[in-house]
Amino acid sequence: MTAREIIGRLKAWLRRDELDRQLAEDVQSHLDLLARDLAHDGRSIDDARVAARRQLGNITRLREESRDAWGFPAIEAVVQDARYAARGLRRAPGFTITVVITLALGIGANAAMFGVVDRLMFRPFPYMRDPASVRRVYIQTTYRGQVGTSATFPYRRYLDLSRANSTITAFAAESEWRFGVGQREASRVRKVAGVSASFFAFFDASPVRGRFFSAAEDSPPVGAPVAVISHEMWVSEFHSSDVIGQPLKVGTLQYTIIGVAPPGFRGTVEGGQPDVIVPITTIPSNMGASSQASYLADYQWDWASVLVRLKPGATAAAATSELTAAYVVSRAAARAINPRVQPDSIAHPRALIGPVKSAAGPDPGLEAQVLLCVLCVAAIVLLIACANVANLMLVRVLRRRREITVRLALGVGRGRLAAQFLTEAMVLSLIGCAAGLVVAQWGGAAIRGLLLPEGSSFNLATDWRTLSVAFACACAAALLTAVGPAILATRTSLAASLKAGAREGTFQRSRLRAALLIVQGALSVVLLVGAGLFVRSVENVQAVPLGYDARPVLDVVMDFRGYIMDSAQSVAVHRRLLEVAQSLPGVAYAARVNSHVFATNTAELAVPGIDSVAALGRFNVQIASSDYFNVMQTRILRGRAFTPDDRRGTPLVAVVSEAMARVLWPGRDPVGQCMRVGLGRGFNMATLPCTTVIGVAENSAQQNMGDDPRFMYYLPYDQVATWDVSTILLRLTTEAVESRAEEVRRALTRAMPGDGLVVVRPLQEVVDDHMRSWRLGAALFGAFGGLALVVALVGLYGVVSYQVTQRMHELGVRIALGARSRDVVSLVVWQGARVVVSAVAIGLALALVAARWVQPLLFRQSATDPVTYTIVAAAMLLAAMVASAIPAMRAGRADPCTALRAE
Amino acid sequence: MSPSPSSLLAGTLDLLILKTLSIGTLHGYAIAQHIHRLSNDALRVEEGSLYPALQRMQVKGWVVSETKRSPTGRQARYYRITAAGRKQLAAEEKAFRASVSATTLVLDGSKS
Repeated sequence: MTAREIIGRLKAWLRRDELDRQLAEDVQSHLDLLARDLAHDGRSIDDARVAARRQLGNITRLREESRDAWGFPAIEAVVQDARYAARGLRRAPGFTITVVITLALGIGANAAMFGVVDRLMFRPFPYMRDPASVRRVYIQTTYRGQVGTSATFPYRRYLDLSRANSTITAFAAESEWRFGVGQREASRVRKVAGVSASFFAFFDASPVRGRFFSAAEDSPPVGAPVAVISHEMWVSEFHSSDVIGQPLKVGTLQYTIIGVAPPGFRGTVEGGQPDVIVPITTIPSNMGASSQASYLADYQWDWASVLVRLKPGATAAAATSELTAAYVVSRAAARAINPRVQPDSIAHPRALIGPVKSAAGPDPGLEAQVLLCVLCVAAIVLLIACANVANLMLVRVLRRRREITVRLALGVGRGRLAAQFLTEAMVLSLIGCAAGLVVAQWGGAAIRGLLLPEGSSFNLATDWRTLSVAFACACAAALLTAVGPAILATRTSLAASLKAGAREGTFQRSRLRAALLIVQGALSVVLLVGAGLFVRSVENVQAVPLGYDARPVLDVVMDFRGYIMDSAQSVAVHRRLLEVAQSLPGVAYAARVNSHVFATNTAELAVPGIDSVAALGRFNVQIASSDYFNVMQTRILRGRAFTPDDRRGTPLVAVVSEAMARVLWPGRDPVGQCMRVGLGRGFNMATLPCTTVIGVAENSAQQNMGDDPRFMYYLPYDQVATWDVSTILLRLTTEAVESRAEEVRRALTRAMPGDGLVVVRPLQEVVDDHMRSWRLGAALFGAFGGLALVVALVGLYGVVSYQVTQRMHELGVRIALGARSRDVVSLVVWQGARVVVSAVAIGLALALVAARWVQPLLFRQSATDPVTYTIVAAAMLLAAMVASAIPAMRAGRADPCTALRAE
Repeated sequence: MSPSPSSLLAGTLDLLILKTLSIGTLHGYAIAQHIHRLSNDALRVEEGSLYPALQRMQVKGWVVSETKRSPTGRQARYYRITAAGRKQLAAEEKAFRASVSATTLVLDGSKS
């Protein structure tokens, strides 16, 4: 069809009513004229009219014929098929509902998972200009034989890497912080992004008010205190008023608002959107006077991540080698300042470019791996759903065999018939897709709550990427489910089916249907094994002795926001805050600590008689006030805990963990032993006084859940008060800590000097975060495995039930011939079970093959654990027995009289 | 059984209609009459197929139609050939003549 003809047809289709009327007029006019001419020849006018009509022929056919000239017959055929399919489906509501629900679950699972994974890993950040050429820089070094990947490094290193400009056109630095923003009561902890001025050129975003900052405002040693606020903050906090030029306190500094970012602008910040964007060179001023200079001039702090834009045509390999060369130079510069930087021959430094989203980067983290794994699981659920639907459709074709045979006999083309099945499958899939999107939007709320950072929007209606994936799933499902029925229908032997006449076909075993059942069953077994493994793995995580009880504990972080205090004032303020905390109603104990749980620090450590303590592993130090062990409920196994009497001026003491005691003083009593602890800077290990071990505490998980050897020691806060201690742990008398958190926050914020504020968080949340990836796997695998099992059992039930209906006659005859009802039941059940036995065998084999990929995602759990495999196999067999027993019972009641009467 | 006028060769209906219209603007009945008369009653346009053919040609842009009052005072739809239609006519005529002369050659050849 030429373009011109398409346009012509389209035009004609638009005025099809008019053309139809024209035709009617022409025909009428023709009839009148013909009748007149015939009447001239001497007939009566009535005779002439009849003759004219006869001469013109079949007027209906005429109109049909001329309709072919309009529009697009092929498309109209599809529409016709769709209408026909819709009519047929309305007549079989049970079938339709089963299929739609099955497909909705399959497609919904995929849409929900894709939506999440796409957001975390693949979707470019909003407003990014030419995202295909933008990369993040990752650096890799080898430490203790393990390659470590990092996406953050010193600002100075960013400047050093910027020299790699033959493959890269632009560099930008970015860092994320949580600072108190605002003043007094209005102040809240918000996400703040510190970015280089070059950052904005990576985006096609223009400020809705004011401007972004310039390179002149972002230059070392300290940038201009100017801030761009998010559109969202502008609307909610400033009610869209004129904010340009207004002051805004961010952290410890007064900034001036110079611009408002466009809605949804988040730079490259993952998770929640940043509310404030400031020059990266102003960030160090927030870090306290002592470390301020080192943030920009030194290589001490890893805090900036780097974006680059590749030159057109530059390869990743070329950029990586150029960046690595720059990195090596940068390390040499760092070594000039700090000789302890490892030599390149040991560290094997590399600087490579990778995806902007770190979840898709070289070191994606456990959670991203689990998510990819679950995305595969969702695809498997869809496959199972398709196998199930294909089976239901096959059964439906068999039921409609007479109708199909008659239509074939009447001359319907087999291609046309196949097209009709495809249309029917497509209609079902599209309804399933729509229902699936509803499932994904509403039912997937739980998954999103689990996976996406708070405040991320997830509206499927405007999410064309997820919509197109859902649509692609629907098309694939339609193709997969229609192939079988189409082949079966078009291969139907006319003669045989027409002959079958009186009895609607005879019982036929179908290899195709059995194969589909086996596929479903096997895939369900794989998912169930996965679910079982993840559940056991999460049990292992939860069984890990933490060495503390975090449930009734609140973690309170104080932020003084640059309030100037001398050391005496500082001591007084800290003491008062602890007193306020202790006096709050419902607070059992309060303790000050210097490290967060799971973010502990280390110090230089020496023990007489041991050459290098550091070679034995990482020893974490927690500096805590005397009630620490009461707050955490960490038991003291030997000796004693701190008391308020362990203060400045008394002999230095420490409590060590059981594991640390065992590795440092094997077979000896650790109490009374001497260690030397070098804290801070400017000390000489040889001349440090002994810190005497006074007690042994049970091991506690303070670094990670798994392979951390639990080497931990505690020092009394009053003896090492030179360190800033800004965290208070509160043990409440109740475990309902959430309800008390706000009260505690308000009381302690009131007690803070200046614009200081506190952030309160249940400690259990911190612990939960560290179990998250395993929990996630267990929850998602469990949900999808259960889904798969239900779908597979529904499929098995449907097929066995259909077979029983087909065999009712035969079974009746058997009973008439003396078979007992019990025999018939076991016959049917066994037939169903046989299929499932092969499915289970294949499924277990597949699971063993897949075990390799799942193993790293499990916590102290073998991916080939025989117990899990056995339980799953038994459960599957049992469930299959039940699913086929229900129709089998019906078979047992087959009435011999009916069967014989039919003969 | 009376001898019936030979039916049209397939595909020639468009050609005949276009040729007829190239002479002047006519209504449907007149087109049928014209073909009938010129062929000495040998070709009888299957009157039924005339109108679908006219519509098809309208869609393709070879003819246009308008309602006019006939000399006898009746309302009728008159068809007129367009420039595209004339081009199509020339092409079809050429193809038809070529095919006829080729067929004739074959027929004459097998006679001798």
